[in-house]
Amino acid sequence: MAKIEPGMEAMLDMYFYETNSLLEQLDEILLRTEQANAFESEDIKEIFRIMHTIKGSSAMMGFENLSVLAHKAEDMFFVIRENPDVITDVSFVYDLVFQVSDSYKAQIEMIQNNVNGEYEAMDFSGLIDKLLKARDALVGETKGEAPAPAQAAAQPAEAAPAPVQGSDKVTVRVFFEDGCQMENLRAFLLINTIREECSFLEYTPSDVETNSETSKEIIDHGFLITFTAIDNNDFVLKQIESALNVQSYEVISQAAAPAPAAELPPEPAQAAAPAEKPAETPAPAAPVKEQTAVEKAQAAVEKAQASSGAQKQNLISVNLAKLDALHDIVGEIITTESMVISNPDLEGLELESFNKAARQLRKLTSELQDTVMSIRMVPLAGVFQKMNRIVRDMRKKLGKEVDFVIEGEETEVDKSIVDSLQDPLMHLVRNCMDHGIEEHAEDRIKAGKPEKGTIKLSAQNASGEVVITVSDDGQGIDPEKIMNKARKQGILTKPESEYTIKEIQNLILLPGFSTNEQVTEFSGRGVGMDVVKANVEKCGGTIIVDSKKGEGTNFIIKIPLTLAIIDGMEVTVGDLVFTVPISTIRESFKAEASQILRDTGGNEMIMIRGVCYPILRMHEKFGIETDVTDLEEGILLLVETDNKSVCIFADKLIGEQQVVVKPFPKYLAKYNIKGEGLSGCTIMGDGSISLIIDTNTLIG
Amino acid sequence: MTNDVIKEAVAKQQSGDRKLAADNSVLGKVMTFNIGEQVYGIEIQYVTEIIEMQRITKVPHVPSYIKGIINVRSKVVPIVDIRTRFGKPEIPYTNRTCIIILSFNETSVGIIVDSVADVEDIHTGDISATPENRSVNTNSFIQYMIRSGDMVKLILDVARLLDEQEA
Repeated sequence: MAKIEPGMEAMLDMYFYETNSLLEQLDEILLRTEQANAFESEDIKEIFRIMHTIKGSSAMMGFENLSVLAHKAEDMFFVIRENPDVITDVSFVYDLVFQVSDSYKAQIEMIQNNVNGEYEAMDFSGLIDKLLKARDALVGETKGEAPAPAQAAAQPAEAAPAPVQGSDKVTVRVFFEDGCQMENLRAFLLINTIREECSFLEYTPSDVETNSETSKEIIDHGFLITFTAIDNNDFVLKQIESALNVQSYEVISQAAAPAPAAELPPEPAQAAAPAEKPAETPAPAAPVKEQTAVEKAQAAVEKAQASSGAQKQNLISVNLAKLDALHDIVGEIITTESMVISNPDLEGLELESFNKAARQLRKLTSELQDTVMSIRMVPLAGVFQKMNRIVRDMRKKLGKEVDFVIEGEETEVDKSIVDSLQDPLMHLVRNCMDHGIEEHAEDRIKAGKPEKGTIKLSAQNASGEVVITVSDDGQGIDPEKIMNKARKQGILTKPESEYTIKEIQNLILLPGFSTNEQVTEFSGRGVGMDVVKANVEKCGGTIIVDSKKGEGTNFIIKIPLTLAIIDGMEVTVGDLVFTVPISTIRESFKAEASQILRDTGGNEMIMIRGVCYPILRMHEKFGIETDVTDLEEGILLLVETDNKSVCIFADKLIGEQQVVVKPFPKYLAKYNIKGEGLSGCTIMGDGSISLIIDTNTLIG
Repeated sequence: MTNDVIKEAVAKQQSGDRKLAADNSVLGKVMTFNIGEQVYGIEIQYVTEIIEMQRITKVPHVPSYIKGIINVRSKVVPIVDIRTRFGKPEIPYTNRTCIIILSFNETSVGIIVDSVADVEDIHTGDISATPENRSVNTNSFIQYMIRSGDMVKLILDVARLLDEQEA
């Protein structure tokens, strides 16, 4: 068990966020370049930078194993960066880096799930060995191909120890970002980060670790560091520059700097692309004799950073809990607004100007609500990209040639929905890879299909819903196989002859169904599709299967844009008020005696325009006492979901209202309320509570 | 915090540590309320607020002692009738009937009581443990008892009351 360093908890969130987004970026680069089967020099630099940043921040947080791992990966990429041609076995490098990325994610997840600051530190030694070997192999390549100087550049630390600059003392003044707080601790962290690279290190104020008063001094005068790097001052400067929350730094003196730029270890990366990272150029280009030169360079640095800073300012990361809180407040404002505007005290009064103001208020609150909603909307791209990775891994393991196509990844959905979509999508994509696409390419050719299979993941907006489709052009679902299996599992509920093709296909979504005889690493544990279905339904969505034997399979998921606010129709039953989501209501009407039928079992039905619908009495379903039991007296609502329709019978219609969905209290979770036709509750304008009907479970 | 102190005191009482009786320090406060003739108490740190009886929205498919849900300042809170929960006959609600809102581990539950009595100190000497192995079903919700004069007040185990699993 390792412990998170005390005092670091506050920064953990930031670290997780930063590292996770870097890892995602890494995956993206790897996937993109792998298709091209070659690293662009830009990409190598980017990977190097990512590894470097992760190394730094992990060391700062005290996650040593992560830092070492990143360090080794960085080392390897250092070699590659200097000699992009050395890679002979590209796929080997890819696999290695993917492994690093996965190990990282696993460890970070463990840390995230820490208990009282304790977490299990993973052992990366095997992977680190591999990285070392890979690096040595690469260095070996370099030796063979490249002349000596390049080698020196490749291994400044070991092969060519500390050229020239190493012995010089450099003093820099570091400024932290405005308002980043705890400047003294940040300064201390910075010192920790560069300590191992320096043979000499001094800083003022010197008691930053223990004295929080020093924060002010650091804000006013900057944080002075004097150091001598073990091998390369520029490297340390770069570390300072890339450290967390450092806004800018200036080199004050570089005592006795005899080293002209030419004697620096060659930095082809920077020389080749000086324009790309202007912020870095002043550092190597300033062996600093004249003060003006320093100032000029410094101005350039600041300018560059200011401009990049301005760009960054367009995006901020916000804790989701804060958004949830904001969202709750908006919900309450809307409720309160109705309370004020339709206050019983106002009844019968002539209120021209009040009504005008009320209308204005309503307009603004609905705008407010839309804006808050839009904050929570995130594109599906993140989830979709992850699928890319899954396809890649499986393609390798299963040896199937597959193209993965993504469409509509910019479609936006509520954050909470996106999170709960990841697992189901992953499962579906795996299923397509594993079961969908044919085992052998010959089978595909025989069937007249292109040799390479295609899996498509697409998303689009359609009238208040998002439709996500996962499709493959594989072998499709064989209804007979499904039927056999279903018979064996005993999950059929009616005579076989009555099942339509569509119904048979949707059998695979039932619990305990898995046709694959062989359990593979990826799918086929028999707890697949029903979990997918449950997950999709949990976020208010539906899933259907559409497949044609021999042509492929489509999984179509429909989910609502947002969970929290729905348009509802209020109806009363006895002394209770229910909210029926308007999206499910087809029509509402008064019944006439002539329309009502009874079957032999005494079940009531109603005939509307030649179609017969069953009647569901709400007061019976929920056990409510009411005076209205005559069908002609009350009101009927024709509701429809999943192609199933039913008429629900209530006492009276009250009207339409936008309601904020609240879940049932946790205390009630153990009772099966949700499975019995209710999805939640809502607080109405007058402060009373209305129960929200879940048409799916009500009918089912 | 006070909970631990009290638990310790109860344990000592149980083990027959008579020294405690002399030491009469205050361990915390309880809010007492009546159900029929019996006085019950709840440690004050669990009590969020007391509200008067109001219309309760019934919820289907729950046991009869869960009366439904109410809206307490925009929070939906389930309401339990303690009488029914403890297997006592229901009586009509009066204007003395109150709802006490309890919170424990972010779960809020309101309980309906006949009337609220008082808030008083818990003295070490007054605490006594519940007799064990009694087969009365209410017993499981009593954490310990407080004696004052001839009266015995039963202090409810809120954690149990709120977290109870369906047996």
